Amino acid sequence: MAYLEVNKVTVLYKGNKIGIKEASFEANEGDIIGFIGADGTGKSSLMHAIAGVVKFEGEIIFDKYAYHSPKEAEKIKKHMGFMPQGLGLILYNTLTVEEHLNFFASIRNLIMDKNFKAYKQKLLHMAGLSRFTEREAGHLSGGMKQKLSLICALIHKPKLLLLDEPTTGVDPLSRLELWEILDSIRKEEGTIVIVSTAYMQEASKMDKLLLFEDNGIIARGSSKELINTVRGNTYEKTPCESEDCLELYDTTYSLKPLKSKHKEPTLEGLFFVSALKNRKKLPEISVSQRKEPLDIPPIVMEAKQLTKKFGSFVANDRIDIKLKRNEILGLFGANGAGKTTFIKMLLGLYPIDSGELTLLSQPIRSGRDRQKLKSKIGYVSQHFALYKNMSVRENLIYFANIHQIPTHETLKRIERYAEELGFSDYLDAMPKDLPLGINQRFSIAAAIIHEPVVLFLDEPTSGVDVIARYQLWQLLRLLKEKWGISILITTHYMSEAEYCDRVVLLKDGKKVADDTVENFYKKHPNANNFEEIFLEYYKEAN
Amino acid sequence: MNIGVIKAYTLKEFKELMRTRMIFTVYALPLTILVLFGYGIRMEVTHSRILIIDNDQSKLSGELVEKFKHSKYFNTTEANISESKALKLIKQAKKDAIIIIPTSFEKRLIKAQKIDIAIFIDGSFPNRAHTIENYIESVIINYLQNYAQRYPTFSTNIIAINPRSLFNQAMRDEDAIVPGLIGLALFVSPAILTALLIVKEKEKGTIFNFYASSINKEDFLIAKLIPPFLLHSVSVLILFLIAVYLFRVPFRGSFALYWFSSELYVLVSLSVGLLVSIVTRSQIVALVLTVIITILPGFLYSGIILPISSMSRESYIEAHMFPVMYYNHIAYDTFLIGQGLSSKKIVLYLIILMGFACVLLNLGWFLLKKELKK
Amino acid sequence: MIKAFLSIVAKELLDFLRSWGLVVVVLYSFTVDVYIAGSGMQIEPKNVSVGYVDYTGGGISQKILFHLHEPEFVAPKRFLSQKQLSEAIFNKEIMVGIVFDQDFEKNYRKHKKATIDVLLDATAASQSFITLSYLQNIVLNFSKLNIPIDIDIHKLFNPNSDERYFMALVELLSVVTMLSILLPAVVFVREKEEGTWDIMLLMPVDPKIVILAKSLSQIIIIMAGVVITVGLVLFGTFNIPMNGPFFAFLLLTFFYAFTSAGIGLFIASVSEGMMQTAQLSMLIMMPLIFLSGAWTPVYAMHPILEKLSLLSPLRYYIEGCESIFFRGTSFIDLWQYFAGVLVLGSVLYWYGFRKIGKLF
Repeated sequence: MAYLEVNKVTVLYKGNKIGIKEASFEANEGDIIGFIGADGTGKSSLMHAIAGVVKFEGEIIFDKYAYHSPKEAEKIKKHMGFMPQGLGLILYNTLTVEEHLNFFASIRNLIMDKNFKAYKQKLLHMAGLSRFTEREAGHLSGGMKQKLSLICALIHKPKLLLLDEPTTGVDPLSRLELWEILDSIRKEEGTIVIVSTAYMQEASKMDKLLLFEDNGIIARGSSKELINTVRGNTYEKTPCESEDCLELYDTTYSLKPLKSKHKEPTLEGLFFVSALKNRKKLPEISVSQRKEPLDIPPIVMEAKQLTKKFGSFVANDRIDIKLKRNEILGLFGANGAGKTTFIKMLLGLYPIDSGELTLLSQPIRSGRDRQKLKSKIGYVSQHFALYKNMSVRENLIYFANIHQIPTHETLKRIERYAEELGFSDYLDAMPKDLPLGINQRFSIAAAIIHEPVVLFLDEPTSGVDVIARYQLWQLLRLLKEKWGISILITTHYMSEAEYCDRVVLLKDGKKVADDTVENFYKKHPNANNFEEIFLEYYKEAN
Repeated sequence: MNIGVIKAYTLKEFKELMRTRMIFTVYALPLTILVLFGYGIRMEVTHSRILIIDNDQSKLSGELVEKFKHSKYFNTTEANISESKALKLIKQAKKDAIIIIPTSFEKRLIKAQKIDIAIFIDGSFPNRAHTIENYIESVIINYLQNYAQRYPTFSTNIIAINPRSLFNQAMRDEDAIVPGLIGLALFVSPAILTALLIVKEKEKGTIFNFYASSINKEDFLIAKLIPPFLLHSVSVLILFLIAVYLFRVPFRGSFALYWFSSELYVLVSLSVGLLVSIVTRSQIVALVLTVIITILPGFLYSGIILPISSMSRESYIEAHMFPVMYYNHIAYDTFLIGQGLSSKKIVLYLIILMGFACVLLNLGWFLLKKELKK
Repeated sequence: MIKAFLSIVAKELLDFLRSWGLVVVVLYSFTVDVYIAGSGMQIEPKNVSVGYVDYTGGGISQKILFHLHEPEFVAPKRFLSQKQLSEAIFNKEIMVGIVFDQDFEKNYRKHKKATIDVLLDATAASQSFITLSYLQNIVLNFSKLNIPIDIDIHKLFNPNSDERYFMALVELLSVVTMLSILLPAVVFVREKEEGTWDIMLLMPVDPKIVILAKSLSQIIIIMAGVVITVGLVLFGTFNIPMNGPFFAFLLLTFFYAFTSAGIGLFIASVSEGMMQTAQLSMLIMMPLIFLSGAWTPVYAMHPILEKLSLLSPLRYYIEGCESIFFRGTSFIDLWQYFAGVLVLGSVLYWYGFRKIGKLF
């Protein structure tokens, strides 16, 4: 008998909406189980059921104890660690990092002895938070919050660890550290770790993967086994002829055999092939040319020696960045490197302590200088900001109205974006009922509804599934090509660097590199991918 | 009961209250209520603005006017204007009442002929109008009594009332009001403090820490109650000191009873807020609901201004549904009377307050679910 | 601009209507709450229990007691000694004790000053005061003066002293105050807490427009509530007279709600989260409501408070509404109330505009 058995678990929400239907799986001590799948396919629902925080049908057996409801699950909760989806959801903004760990230890009845203190230090160190033990959670960056949440869920060495997208918004370096933590805890404690993730490099490290679709588990196996299932469908980039075919950036997936050469498949391929099989035609992303060409200056944004301090902490230290016309600039850096701070200064949400900023040829000295520029800038924030009590459609209409777009034009655009960004089915749903990824897609729609000249995107792809992310990038590139706009974007998916024209690397508030992606590869000839390059910069100094 | 868990949650709540600088407002609220209302609310209506039109302008009418001018209840002005003009002043809310002394006042008084004194009172505040009416009448009658005594030809039968207010000899407003205000302050401030404690966690997501761990519901509730309870235990003392030393309200009862009943009452108020926090899903609803069910009932049913015994129907029933009137009865007793537990009513009311606490807390425990609401 | 303005208003209204919990609470306040306050609250004494000791052996004393009847008084209860009477008051069996001493009747007959001792329970202060004035009136009738004086009292605007008029109206005005401070405050604070305020700041709309639109949306909710109360409860149930111009009432309410929303804006701009908003709004609302002059006339308060109350918009609003409903004051004479409310409102918005809604 397996240590954890999940038998035909079904979760229904209000109005008989299915969360997850008849999901079953088993896990043994020390297993790391990955939940992968598109947004809204039931991964979180199943996690909630196992964690015993939601009513469900079916049976879950953990360590020979069977439970069928949250009430019965009470008994095993002391062996369980749960981290729900969302940035820093379980943290208290006014408590410091240290206090969080002590609090979680106390509610788990841990004895604060020498061993505990050593373990705590180890966790802090692994999470890279040792320097920040006195900082309040409200002042941590998004990724740091995630790491803190994770080590809080780990503090009592649970036997069963449920992590719902723990690495969303976490930088590659920290992700590596996180996995080290997980790996060691499962080896030492025999913990079963269940993780959902949108990072496929991570998924490949897990013992067993469950692929979710249509609120059920449709495939399972090791990452190799799963990859092999799509080996026959993966080809070098070839133009598609039939409907059962999908042409991507550098790969083509087809259900019917193609003449071109096969390519080494990846986990991402799983999503595209499964989409093909379900005849879910990926919407063709297209952007129509602007009627009147825009008058955009050659340098869209120029920051000279921009500096921002919070008390004695220097968040941005004399940063020089230029954003040119018709350019996608990727802003990369570890959590807390100062990316968000920089964008907020550009937007005027934080005051600039020193330095000069020019936006669209307009020197910015006070808030008044920004008034004229507002209609030319689009922004998506890290914590998306959408109104909970309005449907997606209403939200979009609202934003369009604020931008004084004529109503008939608004409706046309919404229709178009919905199709292009793949949320037609959700147009009349409430944001809170939608998974993270879909929410994110439409907050981008809201940011471009007024057809801005420059876009500032703060981690728009965090927590978004593979397909949606691919489509988003397609859209951004099209926007750049057709409209000639400039985009400044931050992301933690290193593979996305390939889509950028130029990459700026921040570290501890300073700019450490600024070059085209090609040049990065030239400088680091041994690197297989951008993640390795990134890690090199961070290791160099340490 | 798990002391470790309770301690951890309690410490956490305390830190949150301190760091959001809430600690300041926690005490500012009951203090403001007591001090401002203690100076602001008055039982007696003094300085009513009256206008006397003395059409007689005689010595005797002048004496009557003087009587009004010397009364603390009136802020008297004298004018020689037409009645319609005077009525307009009431209409414009510039005067509360107008007294018109007829032309032949002195002549008729000496001859003992019928005298008509016309009085117009602004009735828009009925209670105030009633009081002003009584004051005016008694000044006039008093004047006439004195006049009659000077001239024995007017045989009079005079009855005077000699009011002796038990427990409050001097009939001080402070004595009559301040103990009641403590009941209001200790109802409103604890309730508003706890009203957001749980719903806040629901909105933010930190409630998962409770859902997904083995913390008992009762431990969770206890931990949520302890910090506000301790904070407001200090209020109990502060309010007592202000009442006794600032307002000089006598304290005749036992401090133990005051302290115990106040702590019990704070617990009831906290439970009201906590219950709101448990049943609501958004902080906004919780806040508005708490404000609606505490501020007005807390004041109206406190017995400070409106006697509960003379309420009728819905209000009478509603008054008994709020804990304020029970506590205030005890509070008045401990300050002004000092019967303490020898009074059966006080014992009964203490039991009722305990009942409130038990019912509210159990209801909260029952309604608090350790799972996501779908 | 108009389009953006209206969109914000529409969005906020939609938001309100979708949070049904809030709708229920607001509707309750505007209907049931006002109804209960208006229907049962009375300041006149009722069912006051009286006890007496009569050392005179009857006569005048009994005649006086005869006047203490229902509904104001419960039939007086006789006690044998003053000691018993005091004990009864201690035990709260009776609220008022009357003592007729031996000389009472004798003095009365001899046209000397006859005195009645009245013992009052000061812990029930409000009852005591009212009962005392009642007794005084009864007794005055017995003080037979040979002077045929006729005090002709006209109570203007509310001749029957109908308490319900006053209570219902004051309750309504209090509800308007609470909601028009709270609703805008939470609207602004919520945006701050959820981070949507940043997004609003980046929109090509003047933040002042956003602030005004958001305030207006909440004021529309209040105005709708006021119309419901006035129609259903004030006119429908209590038949409250309306002696002044109705439009003046609506207009004054509108301006007042705007000013109160300004207080809400102020609260939102100085507080960091919902908890602080809750505490601060309580701290501001309670003195506003109870020291506005409805319960104690402003001129009877401590001189400092009297001055401070000039800063309370509710002071102008209550006086204004009383004038409109009861006194039937002409529109021109209401200018001071409008002025008071508007001046305070302008200051609050000026502060709000400066404090929130700026990019750096």
